[in-house]
This record gives sequence, structure tokens and C-alpha cells, in this order.
Amino acid sequence: MADQPRGILTYQGIPVWRHAVLIQWALQIISAIAVVTLVVWFFSNVAFAINDRDIPFGWNFFGRSYGTPVPEHALPFNDSTDSYAYALLVAAVNTIILAVAGVILAIIVGTLIGIARLSPNWLLSRLSLVYVEFFRNVPLLVQLLFIFYFILVLPPITETYNLFDVLYINNAGIAMPQPTLSSGIAPGLGWVAAAGAGVFLGYTVYKLRNRREIVTGAVSYPLLTGIGTAVGIAAVAWVAIWAMAGDTPLGLSIPAPDDRFGRIEDGLRVRSGAIVMLVGLVMYTAAFIAEIVRAGIQSVSRGQTEAALAVGLKPVGVLRNVTFPQALRVIIPPLISQCLNLTKNSSLAPAVGFADLTNVGITMTQTAPAINIFLVIMLAYLAMSLAWSAVGNFYNWRTRIVGT
Amino acid sequence: MATRETTPGAILPPPRMTTGKVGWIRNNLFSSPSNGATTIIVAALTLYLLWLFVDWAFGTADWSVIPTLGGTLVLGQYNSDSVCPSNDCFWRPQASLLIAMTYFGILWAVAATTLVRGVALTTAFVAAAMALLPLPFDEMGMDVRLLLVANIPAVFLGRWLGRNTPVGSTRNLIIIAFVGFITVYFLLRGIEGVPGLYPVPSRFWGGLMLNILLAAGGITASLPIGIMLALGRRSNLPVVKMLCIGFIEFFRGVPLITLLFMSQTLVPLAFPRDFPLDEVTRAGIVITMFSAAYMAENIRGGLQALHRGQTEAARALGLPPWNTTTFITLPQALRNVVPAIVGQYISLYKDTTLVFIIGMLDILHMGSSFIGSNREFLPHSRELFLFIALVFWVFNYGMSYVSRRVERNLGVGER
Repeated sequence: MADQPRGILTYQGIPVWRHAVLIQWALQIISAIAVVTLVVWFFSNVAFAINDRDIPFGWNFFGRSYGTPVPEHALPFNDSTDSYAYALLVAAVNTIILAVAGVILAIIVGTLIGIARLSPNWLLSRLSLVYVEFFRNVPLLVQLLFIFYFILVLPPITETYNLFDVLYINNAGIAMPQPTLSSGIAPGLGWVAAAGAGVFLGYTVYKLRNRREIVTGAVSYPLLTGIGTAVGIAAVAWVAIWAMAGDTPLGLSIPAPDDRFGRIEDGLRVRSGAIVMLVGLVMYTAAFIAEIVRAGIQSVSRGQTEAALAVGLKPVGVLRNVTFPQALRVIIPPLISQCLNLTKNSSLAPAVGFADLTNVGITMTQTAPAINIFLVIMLAYLAMSLAWSAVGNFYNWRTRIVGT
Repeated sequence: MATRETTPGAILPPPRMTTGKVGWIRNNLFSSPSNGATTIIVAALTLYLLWLFVDWAFGTADWSVIPTLGGTLVLGQYNSDSVCPSNDCFWRPQASLLIAMTYFGILWAVAATTLVRGVALTTAFVAAAMALLPLPFDEMGMDVRLLLVANIPAVFLGRWLGRNTPVGSTRNLIIIAFVGFITVYFLLRGIEGVPGLYPVPSRFWGGLMLNILLAAGGITASLPIGIMLALGRRSNLPVVKMLCIGFIEFFRGVPLITLLFMSQTLVPLAFPRDFPLDEVTRAGIVITMFSAAYMAENIRGGLQALHRGQTEAARALGLPPWNTTTFITLPQALRNVVPAIVGQYISLYKDTTLVFIIGMLDILHMGSSFIGSNREFLPHSRELFLFIALVFWVFNYGMSYVSRRVERNLGVGER
């Protein structure tokens, strides 16, 4: 009896058409070919149509001068000379500033509401429930338009609300005082550096005295001494630089109405579009973050709270030192995905006229190829998403449970 | 033998009341001085805000902007003179609603739970109650009102069909849904040359109808696509896995608005000029894909949370992989992520408003273009947008309420 040949096709006598590995690979190759064909078909059709229907396409618009103002710009922007590529960069910076400011505020507001939701006070917890249920269930765009029209019917610039001659609110936006480097860059940045060092030193003092209090039980006022150190160093640096340079290290630019047209000059002027976006994104995302925080705190077992109360911690201390740190492991991953959502939701800015990446992109499509612009914008958003995922992965790696 | 007299001062007062209204207030609002202070401050602030709101809503606010817009908020320009010359197209969206209600009735007969009955009857009665809206009769005629009331018989007709005809089986439900969608599509779009079905191109579909249509299509299609993507992402076939990961991460990584723009600029280039793939369908497909990518991640979460023992036991019993998935892992995974799925449905419905930015005539477009062209209503734009917000809120809160009930019925977290 001759040995059966044990090649792959007749492995253990299974016929070819029922061979699991072969079927799987055949399926994979077929699906890969199908997808590749579809993609190639799609893009070759697009390429053909671009030629055939004279659709504008190409990348050389990047270097051309943009020639259109970008209303909000954190980076300096000159609309008669700067290029399309630079305008996109300016817009991307606007998006990033909006996203970062929105994320910070939304986390603060959301955490407070989430904690209030678990308050023993019935009224407070019901109110937070109402907040969450309202803002989660109404489309963000509707909220943005509501705020947009809300601001639009505020008094015009000539009848602006004036708070103590430093804060002006009208239907064009808000103007507030802003620190400036009026007395030169060196003293200003020097003081900022000194204040930064003070904050760092203050934090170190807080950590050390906190540890001392925990280890020895001696009352050490860690928070008080920490803040005191930081403020003290900043104040000493301020006085020292003032004495040396003969002028305060930082100036203050206070907004004031222009004499002739009543237009507000100087200070930090935020246009209404930016306010609408910031307020809308923060209120909407805060509702989601509040639910995440609530679920996270509730996920910590009750025994932890009871034990902490039993050893004599006050309710605030229980939350700060026992429940919340444990809840963070549960809170952070969905929180990061909310940060990503906020960043993506900032692309609703075209509806309210804030010059973010999408809005500037849409404006550009009137003078440059739309397809190319949107490809660039999509890539930019993909990069921002990847950045948030990287933050999330880093956190998961830091807080992973080691050695189980 | 010394006896001790009970002095009046030694009698302790009775313990504080912990039951009844007073006890409840004491426990929940004034359990400690700080709690009491919180209650007073929060109550004062709430009452002040509430007073401001009531003062505005019943004083300075002018709600007439809503009846002025009236039907255009619901149908957009669908029944306007320029789109439908003899203004007799209104019955087509209403007939679509009747079809949907009949489908709800069939679902009621097939699923036979109090929950489905509740959903079917509530929607039908709410739709019928719209007939009682205090609008003038030349705005909202008797025929419109009668067709709205007909939603109640439609539900019962569906239930009868489900019980007494072959229509009422789980497998047929999918086919009926598909047929229903096609019917609604051609009903709304009209057919050239057929009397009564004057063609209305989809770019004139608008108002809340457009939001609901996009949401209905997305809700129906994104779950099966999401399931397939989730299974593909967990598969051990490298090519399938890479394709699914690429799809999911791309659609989750970019904002929906850029995808919608691409659907209007890039996608039409891939098809011949007269290819019947209109703006609304393209937007609907993109919204569905976007939602399916999120749905896939939710379902994947449910699959990952399942204990390995489930798969191993099924395989040990001799179930082939496909049956293990459809009978063992998938049902349990889906049951565990019901809240996440409904949450995704809610955000899908909210996301349909984004078509406003690409210039479709949805409810937001009708509202803001009306404010834009009638400046005398500008001071009353708040009323209009608050109303639109409430419309969305009612739908979404209803969905999340149903989701909580489904969760309870399925016993999530109990077994």
C-alpha cells in the first residue's frame, strides 16, 4: 500500500472545496480583489470625469496668494500676500485653539455636573439630570444656531453693554482686557518664566508637605503653602523686574469704544462666531462628559466609600482622595473619545461663521479645486484624531495593571 | 428599694421624622447645614431663571413665527407652487407615514410585546393628534387632517395583516421593510407620466420629513452593516480584518461634514451624468456609513465583553463557527450593547441636521432661511429654534426611553 501523497490539496483527505484554510484564503483574495476593483473603478471614473467635465483639480493652488480675509486668526495673516497653504494652516490653528479651549472647559463643566448628579441634594441632582437630558438630545447644530441668533439680537455696537468700562458685549462679540508685552519682550517673557518656575516650585512644595502630612500626621497646610510659594515668587519677580526695567513687566490693553464709529478698539476682542462655537461645544460635550463621570464614580464599589467614611474622611475628601482617583481609570477612555468628538464637531463652524478649517475650506472652494481642498482637510482631521488616540493609548499604557 | 423618678427633662424627644413629606424633605434637601444652604441657593437661582423664562415665553415672546412657517417646517418646499403646481402633493408624504404606521402594526403583531405595542400606538396617536392643531383650515385642510387621523386605523390594519396573512413572520419583516422603502421612495419622488404622481426631484424634499427619511434609512441599514464590520474586524482573516479596520478608522476619524461635502463633489464624478443617484440618496449613504462605523465599534465592545467560555462551549457542542456567531455570541453581545446602539441611533438622527450646511432643505434650513428673508422675525428667532430643539428632543428622549425599557425587558445586568 503506497503512502497517500500529503500535499496541501489533499491534506488529511479533505477535498479542495471543503478545505477550511483554502476556502478562507480564497474568500480573502476574492474580497481583496473586489475591494481593489471597486476602488480602482471609482477613482478611474473620477479621474476620467475630471478630464471630461473640466472639473478643476490640481495642487498648484497651494502656492498662490489667497486674497481673502480670514476673520479670526491667531497667527498673523495678510490676505493680499499669504498663500492658500498658509491660510489653511491659520485655519487649522483656529480649529486647534477652539478644540483645546473647548476640551478644557467641557471637562471642567462636565465633571462638576457629573458630580452634582450624584449629590445627596435632590434638587441639585435633578437639575443636573435635566441639563444632561436636554443637551444630549438636541442636535448640536440646533443649539449653535440658537446661540447664534441669541447673540445676533443683542444690542448693536453703538448700544453695547458696558461693564465697568472694561468688558463690552454686543451683537458682534465680546471685548475684554488682555495682558500685552507693552514694555518690551525681555521683561515680559522674563516675568512669565519666573512665574512658571514659581508655579513649579509651589507644586513641589505642595507635594512634599502633603507627603509629610500623610507620613507624620503633622498639620502642614500643603495647599496653602504651595499656592503661597507660587504667588510669592511671582510677586517678587514682578517687583524686581519693575524696579530694574522701570516699567511693569506686562501691560494691560483695555478695550475702549472708538470715538467716531463707536467701534471697540484694543483689548482681546472675540467675534461672535468664536463665542457661539465655544459655548455650544462646551455645553453639548459637557452633558456627555457628565454622564461619563457619573458612570465612572458609580462604578467604584460602595465599600470604598463606606470604608473611607469609616476611617473618618469627610464626604469631599472621600470623593477627592478615594472615589475619584479610582473612577479615573473608567472615565478617561470614553472621555478621550468625547474630546475627539468635540474636535470633529468643531467642523460645524461654517453654520455660524467661525473661520475654522472647514469654513475656510468651503470659502476656498470658490477659487480653488474643491476635491483637493477637502482631501487636505480630511487628512488634517485624521491627524487630529490620531493625536487624540495617541493620548488615549498613552493613558491606557500608563494605567495598565502590571504583573497579574 | 430606691426607685428613680423620671424627671420631665430626661425624656428624650422623639427621633426625627424620616418618613412622609416632611421626612423626605429633611432627608433629601436639608440633611446638613451645607446641604440646606445648597438647596436654598439652587432653588433661588432656579426660580429666578424659571421666572425669566416664563416671563419671556408668555410675555415678550411671539410664537406666531411657528404657525407662519407651518407646513414648510414639516415638508419644506415639497408642496409649494414651484415644485408641485397644483399643490396636491401633500398626500404623498402622508401616505408614506401611513405605510410606516402599517409597518409598525405588523411589528406589533410579530413581536407581540407591550413595548412594541406602546411604540406603535403612541406614534399613531401622536400623528393623529396633529390633526387637532389649531391652524386655520386654509393652512391645513380637512383632507390633511383626515389623512393624519387615518394613522390609527393604519396601525390596526398592520396588526391584522401581521396576524392573519403570511406577512407576519420575522423573516418577511426584512423583505417588507425593503419593499416599503422602495415604495416610499417612488411615492415621494413621483413617476413621470403617472397622474397624481407629479415628479418631485429629491433636492426639493425638505423639512422634518427629510431628517426623518435620512434617519429612517440610516437606522435600518447601519445596524446590519455595523454588525458585519464588527465581525470582520474580529475575524482572524488578515485581509478582511485590515479592510474593516481601514473602513472603520477612516469614517470615525473625519468629521461627517467633510464626508457630506465629498458626497456632493467627488462621488457624482464616479457615475455617469444621468445616473439616478440623487443628492439625498448620496447624503443618506454617507450618513449611514458614518454611523455604521461607530455602530461597529459599539458591537465590537459587546463582543469583546463576552466570556470566551461561550464560544468554547458552543464549539465543543459541535456548532460550526457561523452558527456560533449567529446563535450564541451575537445575540448576547447585541443585548449587552442596546443602550450604545440606541445612543448611536440618537446621534444619527441628530446628525441628519448637518445636511443644512451642504445646502439641503431640512428643518433647520427652512427655519434659518425664513428668518433670513423675513427680517421682521429676527427678534423672534429664539422662539423658532427653541421649537425645533423641542421637536428633536421629543423624538430623541422617546428613543432613549424605549431603550431603557428594552434593557429592562431583556434583563441586561441581571443575568
